[in-house]
Amino acid sequence: MTISTISVSDMHCAACASKIRSALAGLQDVRATHINPVRRQVLVEHGDAIGTLDILSTIESAGFTPTLAGLDDHDARQRSLLKRLGVAGLAMMQVMMAAVALYAGHFEGMEAAYTRLLQYTSLVFTIPVICYSAMPFFTSALGSMRRGTALSMDVPVALAIAIAFATSLYHTLTGTGEVYYDSVVMFTFLLLGARYIGNRLQHRFDMTSHLLSALPRTATVERQENRISVPVSALVAGDMIWVSEGAQVPVDGELDTQTAALDEALLTGESDWVHKTAHDSIFAGTLNRGAAFRMRASRAFDQSRIADIAQLADQAAVKDAPITRLTDRVAGVFIPAVLGLAAFTFLAWQILSASPERALVAALTVLVVSCPCALSLATPAALTAAMTRLRQLGVVLTRGDALERALQVDRIYVDKTGTLTDDRPRITSVTCFEPAWPEADCLGLAAALQRYSSHPYARAFQAVATVRTFELTNVTTVTGGGVAGSLSAHQVRIGSAAFALDADTEDAADQAVFLSLDGAPLARFDMTNRIRPDAAAAVDALKQRGIEPVMLSGDSTERCAETARDLGIGFLARQTPEAKLAAIRADQAAGRTVLMLGDGINDVPVLAGADLSAAVVEASELVKSKADVLLLSRRLAPLVDLFRVAAATRHITHQNLIWAALYNLTAIPVAALGLMPPWLAALGMASSSILVMLNATRLLAAAPGTAPDGVAEMEA
Amino acid sequence: MEVLIVLIPVSMILVGIGAALFIWAVNNNQFEQLDKHGFDIFEEDSGDQS
Repeated sequence: MTISTISVSDMHCAACASKIRSALAGLQDVRATHINPVRRQVLVEHGDAIGTLDILSTIESAGFTPTLAGLDDHDARQRSLLKRLGVAGLAMMQVMMAAVALYAGHFEGMEAAYTRLLQYTSLVFTIPVICYSAMPFFTSALGSMRRGTALSMDVPVALAIAIAFATSLYHTLTGTGEVYYDSVVMFTFLLLGARYIGNRLQHRFDMTSHLLSALPRTATVERQENRISVPVSALVAGDMIWVSEGAQVPVDGELDTQTAALDEALLTGESDWVHKTAHDSIFAGTLNRGAAFRMRASRAFDQSRIADIAQLADQAAVKDAPITRLTDRVAGVFIPAVLGLAAFTFLAWQILSASPERALVAALTVLVVSCPCALSLATPAALTAAMTRLRQLGVVLTRGDALERALQVDRIYVDKTGTLTDDRPRITSVTCFEPAWPEADCLGLAAALQRYSSHPYARAFQAVATVRTFELTNVTTVTGGGVAGSLSAHQVRIGSAAFALDADTEDAADQAVFLSLDGAPLARFDMTNRIRPDAAAAVDALKQRGIEPVMLSGDSTERCAETARDLGIGFLARQTPEAKLAAIRADQAAGRTVLMLGDGINDVPVLAGADLSAAVVEASELVKSKADVLLLSRRLAPLVDLFRVAAATRHITHQNLIWAALYNLTAIPVAALGLMPPWLAALGMASSSILVMLNATRLLAAAPGTAPDGVAEMEA
Repeated sequence: MEVLIVLIPVSMILVGIGAALFIWAVNNNQFEQLDKHGFDIFEEDSGDQS
């Protein structure tokens, strides 16, 4: 199966979306179509029987201009729109001046010759607006009417402009009746302005969510001892790349220089810098916060982790939630209803007042004011903004309805103990056995030995300040055992009891490290895994939301109990996958909604059993993961962000829907009763969609960890 | 008020010039990335890359 992502720049509303959906449904071998009207993207899952070209031509024959995603020329589109907007704006100023004079003349009396002069002046300035500025509305409306399946938003718009202009033209040429040039130009100007601003906002969504656009275009590569600059797309595995101070890593690879400090925020959302040593993996998109370093590329650019994340995030953004489809259908019936209502308004006024003038104005106002743009943008705009923000916080949603489901969750099973405890262990106590060797000396010797080890426990020793230094020779490391070396004539060893003491000590805890001198025990170091500093805060935040975290672990009961007690959460120890699944089933039967935080790949059945699944994923596993929510760092805090953003999104979506519905419900009757001037209708319609988009952008500013003022109020 | 008969065509010409200038400016990317130049100081000078 192949997935083609296509941008359709002239898909302005939900009605267009449903039209494209039905056009693609006619194509054979199309499995599914996902449409995001906000980002104007269509994602088609199809078999090999058809290619991307077939899909492009199908959408084109449905009357749209599709391009392959990424090739969509936003700048050219905006330039053309800006020119049309500028011409309409200049014309509007002139026509309004003439209109003021005409209104004044209407009340104060004006010689017929001057009235006609001003009317013709307005006509001259309106012609470029009709022939140039308003052209996109006409072409789009005509295209939509030719196909006739579902009428697009532009039909009532074009109709209103055309009728008002034609009537005014007739009145001007015959020298009878009112002219509406001012309404025509103002309406066109406001609508173009709304579209221009809408495009800019949408572009802002795209830029913040599209990670790849933030990456460097070229990289400095070492070839035959020369450093040359090559395009990132030309990099291959094995290239030696120099990353200068403050620069971004262009591809995934491993560190060749001894150390490097990297800022991985773009990938994980974690703002602390990460220190890497030689041969550690480093990822494209991270920032070099230390000195310049050299790295060896391990994958081509388009296979890098960041490219995977971008692909996943794109798919999720387009896979629309059920509520989006509902508004699709609503808008599909809305436009014919609007046209019918406008016709009814005209007839009613015509019969009741016998004044075609007033009937026409009222009908035009209804056409203009009732555009369901705001209604159809309300949900997708908020969803898109929320997903973009979550990605910045290190959470990738792989399905659009994950946010809606997250709101129902009231229990979390944490199977990934690493999200609760630090992977850097700590020495809790030191027991010395030889009076000649005090604690400081034992620690110093241990640290000297552990310097050669790569075991996680060894790091704990390196963090300890040593008083005495020891010169060691003949140091060897034994995997699964420890480190051995010579201190002058003595043999010293550090490691597990079995390794250091040559003893079969069953009773020794597995979390202790022994130091020995010629086989005799010198000291015993008890180790523990520390609770992550942010875990307790995250657990508290979850509890405040009425969500109960429970730790699941395959570890022994005592170790689990200790961690769980420190965090104040429940636990289930020594769990097999079957037992985990049974625990989830039992909770679901008791009416709970369960989120399972697991391991991406190993726990697939358990994850699938939960109502919502989240996985901590690393590097190459990303695309394989089947979880609904992917956490890009080993922390619990992003999960709190998920719930917080989900609540804020619901709130903003509701605000948007209520606002859009209220606007349409109040504006239409007022317009039908003839109480609203056409310019106010144009302003209302243009500003209602922009308001909905702007409201959604508030989600982009949701701060991590603590809720910003606005969001906190909203959730209350 | 006969002066209007002269002034209105003059204003039409002036507006035409204004519109032409605006379209010229847009076509020459005068409105692209209006905040870009504020960030120029952070760019390394071209030509001193090794």
